[in-house]
Amino acid sequence: MPVLRSIRERFGEQRPLAGITVGACLHVTAETAGLVTALTAGGAQVALCAANPLATQDAVAAALAQLDGVEVFARHGEDLDTYAGHVADVLDRAPSVTLDDGADLLVTLHAARPDLLKGMLGGTEETTSGLVRLRAMQADGRLVVPVLAVNEARAERVFNDHYGTAQSTLDGILRATNLLLAGRTIVVLGYGPTGRGIALRARGAGAQVVVCEIDPVAGLDARMEGFEVMPSLAAAERGDVFITVTGAPHVLGAQHFARMKDGAVLANAGHFDVEIDLGALREAAGGAGGVRVRPLVDQFRLPDGRSLNLLASGRVVNLAAGEGHPASVMDLSFALQALSVEHLVAGEGTLGPGVHPVPDDIDREVARLKLASLGVELDELTAEQRRYRRSWE
Amino acid sequence: MSATESRTLTDFKVADLSLAEFGRKEIRLAEHEMPGLMRTREEFAAAQPLKGARIMGSLHMTIQTAVLIETLTALGAEVRWVSCNIFSTQDHAAAAIAVGPNGTPEDPQGVPVFAWKGETLEEYWWCTEKALTGFSGDPELGPNMILDDGGDATMLVHKGTEFEKAGAVPDPAGAESEEFKVFLTLLQKSVAENPNKWTKVGEDILGVTEETTTGVHRLYELARDGELLFPAINVNDSVTKSKFDNLYGCRHSLVDGINRATDVMLAGKTAVVCGFGDVGKGSAESLRAQGARVIVTEIDPICALQASMQGYQVARLEDVISSADVFITTTGNKDIILVDDMAKMKHQAIVGNIGHFDNEIDVAGLEKAATRINIKPQVDEWKFPDGHTIILLSEGRLLNLGNATGHPSFVMSNSFTNQTIAQIELFTKNDDYDKQVYVLPKHLDEKVARLHLDAVGVKLTELRPDQAAYIGVPVEGPYKPDHYRY
Repeated sequence: MPVLRSIRERFGEQRPLAGITVGACLHVTAETAGLVTALTAGGAQVALCAANPLATQDAVAAALAQLDGVEVFARHGEDLDTYAGHVADVLDRAPSVTLDDGADLLVTLHAARPDLLKGMLGGTEETTSGLVRLRAMQADGRLVVPVLAVNEARAERVFNDHYGTAQSTLDGILRATNLLLAGRTIVVLGYGPTGRGIALRARGAGAQVVVCEIDPVAGLDARMEGFEVMPSLAAAERGDVFITVTGAPHVLGAQHFARMKDGAVLANAGHFDVEIDLGALREAAGGAGGVRVRPLVDQFRLPDGRSLNLLASGRVVNLAAGEGHPASVMDLSFALQALSVEHLVAGEGTLGPGVHPVPDDIDREVARLKLASLGVELDELTAEQRRYRRSWE
Repeated sequence: MSATESRTLTDFKVADLSLAEFGRKEIRLAEHEMPGLMRTREEFAAAQPLKGARIMGSLHMTIQTAVLIETLTALGAEVRWVSCNIFSTQDHAAAAIAVGPNGTPEDPQGVPVFAWKGETLEEYWWCTEKALTGFSGDPELGPNMILDDGGDATMLVHKGTEFEKAGAVPDPAGAESEEFKVFLTLLQKSVAENPNKWTKVGEDILGVTEETTTGVHRLYELARDGELLFPAINVNDSVTKSKFDNLYGCRHSLVDGINRATDVMLAGKTAVVCGFGDVGKGSAESLRAQGARVIVTEIDPICALQASMQGYQVARLEDVISSADVFITTTGNKDIILVDDMAKMKHQAIVGNIGHFDNEIDVAGLEKAATRINIKPQVDEWKFPDGHTIILLSEGRLLNLGNATGHPSFVMSNSFTNQTIAQIELFTKNDDYDKQVYVLPKHLDEKVARLHLDAVGVKLTELRPDQAAYIGVPVEGPYKPDHYRY
């Protein structure tokens, strides 16, 4: 993670976060550890809990807990009550900056600990699902702190969703199932940056890809890329593997399960485990739970004899069954996070409440550091070109 | 023909000699893109292995073919040429060949060529007959070598010989196709005029080298039935021909042809590719790369599974006939898309063929059931009684040549270097060959590839002797067994 490393080195010299408490609710993985150490190098105290109980790497959690200035509240496979308790533990440290991956910290702060909001400089949000929640809060006039939408920064969009999530989603599905993708029909529900990345990679692996969308622009984009686009109920009859990546709940439900082929595989690559209607799936299987046929594969037997295979309990499959984003992708995301924290601290409350874009110079700085680590050089506009682009005659 | 041996050529027929200068410029550009042919010219310049060869060529008269023709003459051959398709001639290429590098439109000194874009069937077979006689200024003298593409020249000699032996030509009225009727009519006339003409032409011929799948298929049938009059080399099945020409050539020129004909945006469209052989594979890939969704139809389970493993939907034509936008036939078989199919297509569905012959799409049926609205040359809209239309490219003939310029020079350099080597092989070592069909030995196939590596900057790794011994091949090749599929 060369970008984060170079930021950590600068933070170590400049100590821009001295005296700041950062509360973080992120996937507790080796890559996240790199972000945490960058923040502590900058002088921050960090309290960390897990954004997803299945994503926690216990060895990493233990190692981080050894570090000065770091408290960790996370255990792999913890239940929902423990999870909520851990979020509360982080908030008890009265962070002035929050890092969220799914907005659990900020939502809980607003709902349960409004007393803590006054002293806050702001937060960052790592993922689409979290931004959806935060914007809903903003629309209701409830969001009272500034939030930087790290997920929508260019350096994040290009690398994290399109490359990182897409590659690791397929990796997770392969590790869980050992399926050959070639010749299979893969239904990708949602053609955002992640869905697009999944669709392209699945096609590259020889799969026939069907895309389902609700947005006409995204749907047209998929079609122009050569994918078959159809309603999810029609796709339900065709697919061998279904991947939800929409941010919306119950994208696959009872009507879909009723139409699916025997042996169909269901995987969710969206942030929350709501995209596949698990209640409906259990109901379709006559109220019975799934039978664990492989680690991370639960087989639901339907009364008519068909079986549907649910991966990772419907949780985000790239983390639950794979290893999440490769380090080089997370390097960029976390570099954006680290610089966003620095920006919030340096701005000291000058940003108003609401969701804000990550400043463009942070985006460019992250990409510049990444290129430098790759040994890639760019051209620069000449003075004449700069003049030309500024003139209107 | 050397520059000193100047004579004005009158023995040819092309569309417009004034196009020769343009043709010559394009030939010059193509020579740079055809390193295999140019290096073959250098290698054999002194030896002149084709001296004494009288080569009749029946192969699309394009710029690339012009470089082939001038390679054959550079190696000493006397050449007469026709196109093997009524639409595939590039008139500037034909003009440049007739004029020759040293002639002028007023004083043509090139090679006798009988070809123009848009021949009638009668004209086509007239051209073929003209090129099969008239060598060395003797109206009776035929070739001693044929360079064929699709087998029409070989068929004329064989059928002519067969009918002369039988003493009668079948009644053209009973012919199963319009083209065969024209063919029989020509033979009826020639047998009436000279009942020994084709027998004599056939006796002189030492061999044929055949360019394409369809022609090869005919040759194997003749050999199987013991009717092949002379040895044949199947150039098509050289790896550096079929894999390159059929796959990469079609991948290049299919979409080019569709775009020039219709300028329809392919992204977002659904395209059906009938057949998933080498041509179908290249066609499917090029359509997919444009953003079209490609559906494949197949009869062969292996090719069908290949298509499926590459992520293509494999379906039956009847199940996708009313939903697809583009239909391309690549099968080498007949009656793939029938008029009843076209009646069910979407309005303005595009229908084209990139297989060798024009019998994959039922054009005769279309003529009975629909009305033709010509849009421009080689693009016709056919209107059905219910008001919907389909757009037929190149009248069902191979659209990459009819609507675009066929395979690019570099690909054709591979094919034509095989042709040249096959001509040299068959002409200079004729005694080694029986009246059978042969493929070029693997070391020559590898040689053709080698001749093209420099031009694309390929640096080949060399086997060390111990490595060569380990896998049991000579250091200098050939590297693969004959059955290797690449």
